[in-house]
Amino acid sequence: MSLAAADLVEHTARFCRRLRSEGLRLGPGDTLDAARALESVDLVDREDVRLGLRTALVKRVEDIPLFEELFERFWGGGAPVPRNPLVIPPDAEDDREKRGAASSRRRTGSDRQSVEEISVPAPSAREALGQQDFASFGDEELRAVTALARRIARRLRARPGRRWRHARRGGQLSLRRTMREAMKTGGELSTLSYRERKLRRTRLVVLADVSGSMDLYARLLLQFLYALQNAFSSVETFVFATRLSRVTEELRAPGYREALGGLSARVQDWSGGTRIGESLSAFLEGWPRLVDRRTVVVVLSDGWETGNPEVLGQALASLRRRAGRLVWLNPLLGSPGYEPLTKGMQAALPHLDVFAPANDLASLEQLARHLSL
Amino acid sequence: MERQGYVTDRAVATAVHLATTLGKPLLVEGHPGVGKTEIAKVLATVLQGDLIRLQCYEGLDATTALYEWNYPKQLLHIRLEEHGERPLAAREADIFSERFLLKRPLLQAITHQGRPPVLLIDEVDRADEEFEAFLLEVLSDFQVTIPEIGTVRAAARPAVVLTSNRARDLSDALRRRCLYLWIDYPPLDKELRIVRTRVPGIAERLAREVTTFIHALRRMKLAKVPGVAESLDWAQALVALHASHLDEELVRETLGCFLKDEEDLRTVTARLDAGELAALSSPL
Repeated sequence: MSLAAADLVEHTARFCRRLRSEGLRLGPGDTLDAARALESVDLVDREDVRLGLRTALVKRVEDIPLFEELFERFWGGGAPVPRNPLVIPPDAEDDREKRGAASSRRRTGSDRQSVEEISVPAPSAREALGQQDFASFGDEELRAVTALARRIARRLRARPGRRWRHARRGGQLSLRRTMREAMKTGGELSTLSYRERKLRRTRLVVLADVSGSMDLYARLLLQFLYALQNAFSSVETFVFATRLSRVTEELRAPGYREALGGLSARVQDWSGGTRIGESLSAFLEGWPRLVDRRTVVVVLSDGWETGNPEVLGQALASLRRRAGRLVWLNPLLGSPGYEPLTKGMQAALPHLDVFAPANDLASLEQLARHLSL
Repeated sequence: MERQGYVTDRAVATAVHLATTLGKPLLVEGHPGVGKTEIAKVLATVLQGDLIRLQCYEGLDATTALYEWNYPKQLLHIRLEEHGERPLAAREADIFSERFLLKRPLLQAITHQGRPPVLLIDEVDRADEEFEAFLLEVLSDFQVTIPEIGTVRAAARPAVVLTSNRARDLSDALRRRCLYLWIDYPPLDKELRIVRTRVPGIAERLAREVTTFIHALRRMKLAKVPGVAESLDWAQALVALHASHLDEELVRETLGCFLKDEEDLRTVTARLDAGELAALSSPL
């Protein structure tokens, strides 16, 4: 190997280390690929080198801007940086730092706490740690909401999917298995095997905002969540204002009043300020396995974010990547003339699959349409 | 590639070149209709290999992607041999031989004889995660084990192209195994070249108006943004209608060529009603 080539390999390896330190996930194999890529492009041509390295080292479009920036810095000036394929804000880098700092802070904060409750770094001065009295609920309302939740649950129930599984009896004849069985008896068909469609189940994760601005709707929504939890087994319910709590178990209590008792005991910050983004990030970190492609994630909030809207955007983006569908229900959307102009809502909108109102029973009724995958 | 009617740029050319020289699968991502699948087709023509296509969908499993025994044929064979004199083992070996094997795309690619084929795994984001894991296994050593026959190894490694519309995030493991290419909507001049190449006989003025119009649409917030495929469909339709330039009536009649969503149709019709055709179809 000539001296220049050895230099180049060395330089490439350093470049890969640099990319790795900036958060790109690269293994030793990728460094090797990069070096091999450089062998088969025109080294005199800067553009060729750039594209070759990019093809080998970048694994997703989101990382292209970072690559371009570092390539510019690392391999010295020359041609201007071509425009990035996806619009990424210019402060992408600071942002990453902030994110890193925030998550490490969160980690140290939650170490000593139970897994059930992850606290989000402490908040606004107006976090009202009062407890609310939920004892005054009309039975009439409760019945209507319960009936609604049952209807929704029926739509979510398991349905036959595309894939097959072995069935004891009924279903379709499974030639594959029947043949296998027949081999045992020298080709004589003695038993028939059947197959049927595997059931596909939808799971539901509800993240409800119970901060001060949601007070007006909290009554209706809590009834609804309680009824849903009891009508449909694969629901996970979380509530948040400044911090996130999992309330699935509490809501499973046999009576509504018991459930409320449990809720008030668990949730400390009813009607405080709202940190939607941080609460959602806490959810992603604390319960990463709850969300998959069979899961519909419903966020119930008016979008009055007192935290950083960018955090909210990022959390929703990653939720959407993992979930089958991401639904945001906003009680305010039902009122005439409302426009989702708050910073929180603005940050959230690009990531949502469904953005719908939730201010009365009728709008909740509509919800069923969005919930079956 | 240009010779095959695929208008390309250096990023695409470099990626394809590296994928063939390094022998790694190429993962192509981009919006619908920007010509991801086309890359594999052109590659097959350039390499003079066969194109083997595996279209992914939810619930795709090994029996439809790799191989399956031809049960009805096996059953029939057993019946025919029922009163034969041959020992059981021989008969069994018979019905589990290659003659009774239905080769699905992945196995076809592995057992392909002659020039290495191009294996296109289309819309891999639509398959489930389990299938992705299975795919990783196949892509890493290009060999499969069929219990009744043994291990089959690829004589010549096929060139592999995977495409994804980003309906779901692919695993890092799969990404790491591949070289990566992102295809964006082409800039105006490139798209104009594409239209000219793929729709021969189109009037220069019409080609220009069509691409400008589509570019204007892409800047509007539509539910289904028209891709290059839509530009081509539309241009072809207009040529079939013997059009030499765009006028309002013509656009209204042919909206369905490039707008695939009712909401979008309404949005664009409203713009046309407002008399904005000229603004949308003349160069900036």
